[in-house]
Amino acid sequence: MKERILIANRGEIAIRIMQACEALGLDHVVVYTPEDRYSMHVRMAAKAFQIASYKDPNDIFEVADHAKCTAIHPGYGFFSENFRFARRAAMRSRPVRFIGPRWEVIRDLGSKINTKKVAKDLGIPVIPGTDRPIYNEIEAEGIAEWLFLLQKEQGVTHPSILVKASAGGGGMGIEEVNHLNTFRRVYRRIQSYSKRQFGDEGVLIEQCLRDYHHLEVQLVCSQHSEISHFGTRNCTIQSTGRQKRVEVAPGFDPDYCTYPFNAQKVLERIVAYSVKMAKHVQYDNVGTWEWVVTRDGNPYLLEVNTRIQVENGISARIARIKGTDGYPNIVKEQIRVAFGDRLGYSQEDISFSGTSIELRIVAEDARRGFKPWCGAITRFAPYQADWVNVHTHIPPDLSYFIPTEYDPNLALAIIWGQNTAEAVERAHIFIKNTQIEGKDSHDQTIITNLPYLQEKLNDVLKF
Amino acid sequence: MPAKDKTMMDSGKLITQLYDRATYLIDIKKSQDWGNIGDILKNLHQVRQSIFDLDEQVVFEQLEQLDAQISDLEGRLARSITPADVVNIVRSPQRFTLMDVLENVYDSFTELGGSGDCNVDPAMVAARATVSRRVKDKLYTHQIMVIGHEKGRGEEFRNGGCARPWGNDKALRYMHTAETEGIPIHFYIFTPGSYPIEDYPGAAQQIARNLYAMAKLRTPMISFISEGGSGGAEAIGLADMRLMASHGYYSVISPEGAAAIEGKIREGHKVPKELIEHCAAQLRMTARDNLELGTIDRVVQEPPLGAKREDYAFFRRLRYEMIRATDEVVLQAKSFRAMRTYALKMDDNDGSVEEFPVGVHWEMDRSEIRRLLELRSEKYRRMGQGFGIEEKKGLLAGLSKAKELAEAGYYELRYGLIRPHEKNVKKVISEVSSEGSTFLRKVTEPVRAMYEFVLPKTEDVRTGPMEGVERRSIFIEEWEPYVSPLANEDRTITCPNAEKSGCQDLWVPDLYGEFCGVCPTCGHHFPLEYQWYLENLFDRKTLKEFNTHIVSQNPLRFQGFDARLEKDIKKTGRRSSIITFDAGVNGIKLVGAMLFSDFRNGTVGSAEGEKFVRACDKARITRRPFLAYIHTTGGIRINEGTLGVVQMPKCTMAVREYIDSGGLYIVVYDNNSYAGPVASFLGCSPYQFAIRSSRIGFAGPRVIRETTGQDVPPDYHSAHNALKRGHIQGIWDRREFRKRLYEALVTMGGPNLYYK
Repeated sequence: MKERILIANRGEIAIRIMQACEALGLDHVVVYTPEDRYSMHVRMAAKAFQIASYKDPNDIFEVADHAKCTAIHPGYGFFSENFRFARRAAMRSRPVRFIGPRWEVIRDLGSKINTKKVAKDLGIPVIPGTDRPIYNEIEAEGIAEWLFLLQKEQGVTHPSILVKASAGGGGMGIEEVNHLNTFRRVYRRIQSYSKRQFGDEGVLIEQCLRDYHHLEVQLVCSQHSEISHFGTRNCTIQSTGRQKRVEVAPGFDPDYCTYPFNAQKVLERIVAYSVKMAKHVQYDNVGTWEWVVTRDGNPYLLEVNTRIQVENGISARIARIKGTDGYPNIVKEQIRVAFGDRLGYSQEDISFSGTSIELRIVAEDARRGFKPWCGAITRFAPYQADWVNVHTHIPPDLSYFIPTEYDPNLALAIIWGQNTAEAVERAHIFIKNTQIEGKDSHDQTIITNLPYLQEKLNDVLKF
Repeated sequence: MPAKDKTMMDSGKLITQLYDRATYLIDIKKSQDWGNIGDILKNLHQVRQSIFDLDEQVVFEQLEQLDAQISDLEGRLARSITPADVVNIVRSPQRFTLMDVLENVYDSFTELGGSGDCNVDPAMVAARATVSRRVKDKLYTHQIMVIGHEKGRGEEFRNGGCARPWGNDKALRYMHTAETEGIPIHFYIFTPGSYPIEDYPGAAQQIARNLYAMAKLRTPMISFISEGGSGGAEAIGLADMRLMASHGYYSVISPEGAAAIEGKIREGHKVPKELIEHCAAQLRMTARDNLELGTIDRVVQEPPLGAKREDYAFFRRLRYEMIRATDEVVLQAKSFRAMRTYALKMDDNDGSVEEFPVGVHWEMDRSEIRRLLELRSEKYRRMGQGFGIEEKKGLLAGLSKAKELAEAGYYELRYGLIRPHEKNVKKVISEVSSEGSTFLRKVTEPVRAMYEFVLPKTEDVRTGPMEGVERRSIFIEEWEPYVSPLANEDRTITCPNAEKSGCQDLWVPDLYGEFCGVCPTCGHHFPLEYQWYLENLFDRKTLKEFNTHIVSQNPLRFQGFDARLEKDIKKTGRRSSIITFDAGVNGIKLVGAMLFSDFRNGTVGSAEGEKFVRACDKARITRRPFLAYIHTTGGIRINEGTLGVVQMPKCTMAVREYIDSGGLYIVVYDNNSYAGPVASFLGCSPYQFAIRSSRIGFAGPRVIRETTGQDVPPDYHSAHNALKRGHIQGIWDRREFRKRLYEALVTMGGPNLYYK
């Protein structure tokens, strides 16, 4: 029976999955909500079904059954890290293959506390702090004292710690403490907030890190215990609210700028740690291990993303697999391993060349708190060259109104250069020559983050 | 009647008397057809109409004839009074009420808490009264607190003797007054039931409060039952001696109510008269039945067709009986010998109800009160015993008895004698060593070591995650939980709040698995079977059931009930609607009792009450916390009649003694909890909680509608509203039940828990 994949996502990732399916010779079906009906992902698809919400599992499975799909690709966001969705797909009476890791892995790595604990057990460094919720004030103060002492030993000039509601998330219920003598007050406040808000008064305490780079390790694993990595990425340039805007592969480039530590060694360490942990949890799909690296060259594991990521393209762009033409496609690899294929190559077969930069083009006002711009795009003409790939769902032929319900991402530009300097140079060329026109309801001109990206390009990879 | 008297009598008065007697018969038979009574009434009417047209002699002749006819009918009825007749006698407007008792039995009285319609609750009367007795030409006067229901003489404000919650509260207030003043209380029960409204202080809660207080009220109490309607009767019924009018009824439910339930009659439809009569007989509600079942102590004889308002002879008898009962209660507590002498003297009294051979002082001292409370406790603990027990045989019974005794001794020694000492020593050690001086440490360290060597450490109460669990995941300590069989289905369910809260349809394996039957969006709780709680609430392999040999039976031989019991036994594999067990929560050992819905809808009968009391006692002896988890209770099992009703005072007695011993009694309601149990041994707990989406109350919406004529909003009994009324202390989420329970165990309760 021919496999047929339901693409349970929207925008550019839906298109990239569609292209990967076509490359693999697989059938595919897309879903869309009424707001997305003019999106390219709907127009490019052979078969598209309208649903009420991308977030309703019942709708998705209904379509999967109706269209006789054998697998579901969740893309990123939505159901990609929802272990219940993955579990339901596997356990329902008409099982559907979930393109992602085993649901147990999604569940276990979905909890940050849990991940931290496993990492600790394996000797992998994590941000100093608690690895379980604390309920006792005296115990909490003891930990706070230890964290301040630790920072003093490290020579941190302005030591501080974070007190978080254990049941919280997304920045809610987090407060910083700069002195031990104010700790108790903050602890009490977070504890009561947490109890009121989440019904659980557990509190997490950890060292507050500043001045760090945000790095990632891209892993591709198979169901046959094969683990390979596709190098590292640097995603330090983020908007407020920790939204990535510029990503670079590889994670550091000592040829491009100098680092206060041995950059190559740090990259090797985080890759080794990531592989070690993936092996331990028997990871079986693509995944990303996120790290922070502080100025003293210490890496700390942040979390694991058990899904394909937006920026997977830059890792692929700099990679070469021995015996194949061109560069690989990680989305394609993901689908392949999900169907039980072997990788067909080993780590030694993977080599890297050059630098790749991803620019996330978003209609937002970077000078005014990254406020999303809302209106219709009349013309979207990205610069074209053989060193740049643009992924977008914006139709080239008609005016496109940006749906307000979803992420305001317009396009991704993946730029490659033989070295970092060239990649940066080419990124500048790309931005300068890309034209985006549009109007909002007050007839005001579109605002995009292109100027912001241009400005930030100068900081790329520099500590 | 001699002829010469007749002429002297006013014919009009005679007609009225005959009229009353005839209508009384109609009241009782609820029919004009019975014995042609309708014709008699018609004739009587004709005589009255034509009284001035007829010759006086003719009138009297006719009246004499009618009198003879009525007397004949009265005689016929008196010989064959059915339980349904008794109910009608009690409800007749001509029956005596509390006001008649106050006026005729007592010398004088002053109403407390309002009088007449100017009252907190006119259906409940409290009065300070005096009653006197003659002993050899000397008059002795006693002070009495009289508390009872007043049905009134057709006055609407009396509410037919249905006390409102604040009426029961008023009763409780004056009980405490009597306790303070050291005078006995006479209760008179004339109620068809309590008024089933939840307004503060709440029907169920107030009855529970009353029972809880009466269990240990430090003054003698006598109750007299004319109309004993279930919970309403119990609110002032837990007395040291319970008398009952020979033509009264004392029942778990009105025959109409029972008939509606038994016949599954839908609301608004008429209940067949035959079914009502059948149920009246099945409920065993008459004085003789209750005496046989041991739910009352003595019957006060009434005239053949019941006492009416002007039966002065009856009031004299009632006065005699009430005084005698009070004497006996007081003397029993004072000394056995005095009691025996009294009994002998009373027997020699030739049945006179006017004169007493002896006078008895009703004041009691401290030790006598203690004895009074002991006797009361024994009395209620005995009630309903032996109606559901499959006794262990011979040696086994002896062994378990010995084991119980040994256990009691062990726990007394372990936690009663050694523990306080241990606590003191530890306190001293910690006080001394907290001085921080190394010198002192050196001194105390060996002492501490020695001490720990001699006395083993107490059970460690862990705060961390559970141990000894199978790990399926390589990560968190997590056990493979019991999953409800409801989860074995690949389909989705729509949450009832979907429209309001925008909940997505729930996939059944998620809902009944990981979500514990709770909608993650709005928190609506879908019902789960009781096994889920047994498996998920307690530490692995700590749950041990006990007293499974006590089984529900059919003590009243209620027709058709054996088959239904059999069916439920087969269905559930259990033999009563309560499970009593030992279990652990994060290492804290507790005793639990769980009423569950699959067996007779979680109703409470003799077996359930007995199991509950034994579990409660076990918790007291072992000094463990006591959890009553109510999966569902439909109230008292009506098929056990008053044997069911007395489970209310009986279990409350056990609970009161447990709480007084310094334990922790936690009640958690789930699904539906209504009626008797809530109004007694559950509702009296200081720590009551409800699982979200559960309903708690006294009577269901239908009963409220039928008795009050008012509709209640659909969320009237919701946990949220129960919290608002102060009935419960909090609403628990099922997903956090275990955690909340543990918190409660650690933070609440008295000083005598074994781990404190």
